[in-house]
Formats: sequence, C-alpha cells, structure tokens
Amino acid sequence: MAALRLPKCALRVVGIGLPLVLLSTPARAQTSSDTGAPRTGPLSGYMDFHYNKVEFEDGRLDFHRFVLLFTHSFSERLRFVGELELEHALVEGLEQAGELELEQAYLDFLVSRSFNVRAGMLLMPIGIINERHEPPVYYGVERPFVDTVIIPSTWFEVGAGVHGEVGRGWRYRAYVASPLNAGEFSADEGLRGGRQKGAETNAGRIATTGRLEWVRYRGLTVGASFWNGRSGFEFRPRFDVPVTLVEADARYRPTDRLELRGQLAQVYVDNAGQLNDALTRQIGVGPNIARSLRGFYLESGYRFLSGTRAGDVGAFVRYENFDTQHRMPDGYLPLKEFDRDAWVFGGTYWPDPDIAVKVDFSVMRSQSAVIKAPNSLNIGLGWWF
Amino acid sequence: MVVLMLKPMLAKAMLVGTIVVTLSTPSSLRGLAQTSQPEIVEIDAERFSFTPSEIRMKRGVPIELRIRSDDTNHGFRILDTDVNVLVPKRGKGTVTVPFRPDKPGRYIFECTKLCGAGHGFMRGVIIVSE
Repeated sequence: MAALRLPKCALRVVGIGLPLVLLSTPARAQTSSDTGAPRTGPLSGYMDFHYNKVEFEDGRLDFHRFVLLFTHSFSERLRFVGELELEHALVEGLEQAGELELEQAYLDFLVSRSFNVRAGMLLMPIGIINERHEPPVYYGVERPFVDTVIIPSTWFEVGAGVHGEVGRGWRYRAYVASPLNAGEFSADEGLRGGRQKGAETNAGRIATTGRLEWVRYRGLTVGASFWNGRSGFEFRPRFDVPVTLVEADARYRPTDRLELRGQLAQVYVDNAGQLNDALTRQIGVGPNIARSLRGFYLESGYRFLSGTRAGDVGAFVRYENFDTQHRMPDGYLPLKEFDRDAWVFGGTYWPDPDIAVKVDFSVMRSQSAVIKAPNSLNIGLGWWF
Repeated sequence: MVVLMLKPMLAKAMLVGTIVVTLSTPSSLRGLAQTSQPEIVEIDAERFSFTPSEIRMKRGVPIELRIRSDDTNHGFRILDTDVNVLVPKRGKGTVTVPFRPDKPGRYIFECTKLCGAGHGFMRGVIIVSE
C-alpha cells in the first residue's frame, strides 16, 4: 500500500530513470572495452567456382578461387593482414595447373588517420577490381576483361608505402614495389605475365605506384591510379623498358538498386621495339609487344528485386573495349585479333548479401577479319564468409 | 500514519537512487536526458569505406550515429571509447549508436569485422570541437 502512495515527484524520477537504465542495457550489451592486448581475428574468406563454355570449346568446371583472410593485432597501432589464395583447386609441381598465391601479407603501422605505413606483400592500388574483388561485390562471373589484360589483376608485389585519408573523403596510397618483368609481356595479355608476385623478385629497379580516391558522398567513389617502373632487368646487355600505367575510374550508386561503373586504363611501354628485338633473339619468335595498350568499360547494374525475404536479384550490361596492340613500335604491325570489344550481360541472385549466383554471356568481337573472338557463357557461384 | 512517516523517507531514497543512477550512466547517455533530440548522423558502410568518413560535432552535443551496410557485416568501433558494435548486412537493418563525448578531440572509428581485401582502409574520424 505504501508504494501506491509515492509522491508525484518520485514517480517522475522513476519515470525518467527507469527508461534511462533500460536504454543503457542493450547499448552495453553491444559494446566491449578494448584492452589493447594482442588479438587474432577470426578467419574470413571468399570462394567461387565457375562453369565456362567458350564458343567452339567444351565447357569447363573450375573451382576458380579459394581464398582465406586473417588478421592479427599486435597492438592498437600494429596490425597484420594476410590473404592466401588457391586458384584452380590444384597445385602440382612443374605442371600447368593451379596456383597457391600469397596475395597479401603486410604489416600496418597506424600513425594517424592521414598517415600510416604499410610493408609486405601489397595489392597494387590500381582500378576498381584489384583491391575490391570479393565475388558478391561485382557483376559478372569473371572479372572485366580490362581488369585482366590491361590491368593485370590480381596484381600484388612486395613493397612498402604510405596510406591515409585527409579532409573529407580524400584517400591515398603510395607504394614502392618490385617491378614487372618485361621479358614475360605478351601481345594478347599485355603486362599480365610480367607480374613477379613477390617470389624472389628482382629489386634492382624499384617501381612506384599510387592511387587517389574521393569518397565523400554516399554511393560515389572516384579514383585515379598510376604505376611506373623500369622492367627490362632480364636482358644482357641491359636496357631499360620503362612501363607506365595510368587509370581513372568511378562507381556511382544513386539509389540502393542502381549501380554505374566506368574505368579507363592506358599502358605505355617505352623501348618496346628493343624489347621485341631482344625477345625475338631469345625465344626465336617475335612477341609483338605494343608500345601502348588501352582499355575502358562502362557498366550499369540494377537490382529489380531488393530487400525481399528471398534475397536480391539484379541484371547488368557492360561494354568493354580493350586493345593490347593499341600503338606499335616502329617496324611492327598490330595483331588485329587483340583489338577487341565485348558486350557482357547477365544477372545475379543474392540469396544472402554474401552469396552470389551469377550467369552472364559475353559477345566478343575483334578487328581481325580472319580470327574470330569467341563468345562465352559463364555460370558462377561465389560467397564471402 | 505509516504512510505519512514513509513519505519523506521514500522521497529521500528516490533522490539518492536517482543520483546514483545518473552518476553510473555513461556520459554518452546522460546527454539523452538533457537533450531530447540528438543530431542524427547517417553513416553508410561498404567495402572499404565509411561515408561520411569525417564527422564534426560540438563537445557536449549528443549525436546519434545510424550505421547501415550496403554489402556484408561490418564492425564499428570508436577507439578509446566503449563503442564497438556489429553493423548488419545489407537489408538487415541499421545499428544505432548514441555518442556524446565530454572531451574535445579526434575520435577515430574503424571497421572491426574483417570484410575483405581492403578492410584496413575502413577508418574515419569524429572531430569534436569546443
């Protein structure tokens, strides 16, 4: 009975105090104090497997990527990130099969928001895909052609550098890293074969690379990247093959459903004539390496089902134009079958934001009147955990 | 008569209790009682950025951070505070974090859930001025 006769002011106090206590409970349940002690993060990763049916060939099933990521914090300011990738499921000695790659293994020395130091095995900060390539985040079963033969993703090398963010959304990365090996360049895949991948790399000529990114407004990312390095270290007598790659890209998501992407990349290979001559002497066949490679693409994707209990469904179309024989050195003619463009269209079903079931069809054309670029049907399943 | 005698005792007990509850409540939550309408800041998390990544506020003015993801789970932690929450996946809701720092300065926030190759770039700052 006594409780029923509480003064009105006391009831008001209880009325304010009780909700405060209740409000504080769930907040506390979600928080935890950080002691700064070393801690190893959980294992994460992504996987995808594909069915690829290239025109005039039998279809292939390929467990393309099995990737594990892990972290460890030595302290608040000293952190390790590793990414280990098994490509094509199987690694066998001396056979053309899969690859086991250490794509990332670096230490971050976190100094401030605007200045941090990173060293180890680094992803080159070039373009949209090279640093952001988890299967659910891009349309299409395979990565864009431009991100394969013009920008050789996944592109990783040993190196060190700085990164940070200044002002409202200006992010940068600037690294020195091991260079490309020009002795492995090719007419059809450009720089791709020249990646040293951190395996006893030649460090006689250090490359520089960097990226500036503007991420101020929700859904909009604009970036520009470069890579520059002398890549002719294999030849005797020595001569330089300076390589420069410049790139610009943008991603824009004006609504939750619509996403637009565009990317332009150009590569310059100096002394390409001398490189071709040297390789011809070495391997007996002229590799026909260009002095300039260029590619661009535009992509539009739309989720026509979004936020439903069954998941999201989206469709996309992408136009790509890529030419690994864009400009040739004096005395060399371009191989027109490597001046290609492609319309890629298809769809993705996300039963969960971290799982993507994909299908696409690539209609490829080349400028060659003789050699036809094959079309392809691709089906894929990828996930992140 | 019993009721009349209990009345001043109860009032005192409630007063002491309220002081204890108020003192034991985190400073970030005390602001909720003093200002009923905190400023709402919406933050978008996606691989590998928070947008906006720089938030400016006045000391003592409460804000409410509403964080949502456009892709996978992310973490959201403000260094040197007890804020450390999980941001649900795309389409699975928003996490709300009340925040009212008592000291001016720069409060770094970061993603604490390994979310991909560029996870280490997911950082931002809350700049608290006088």
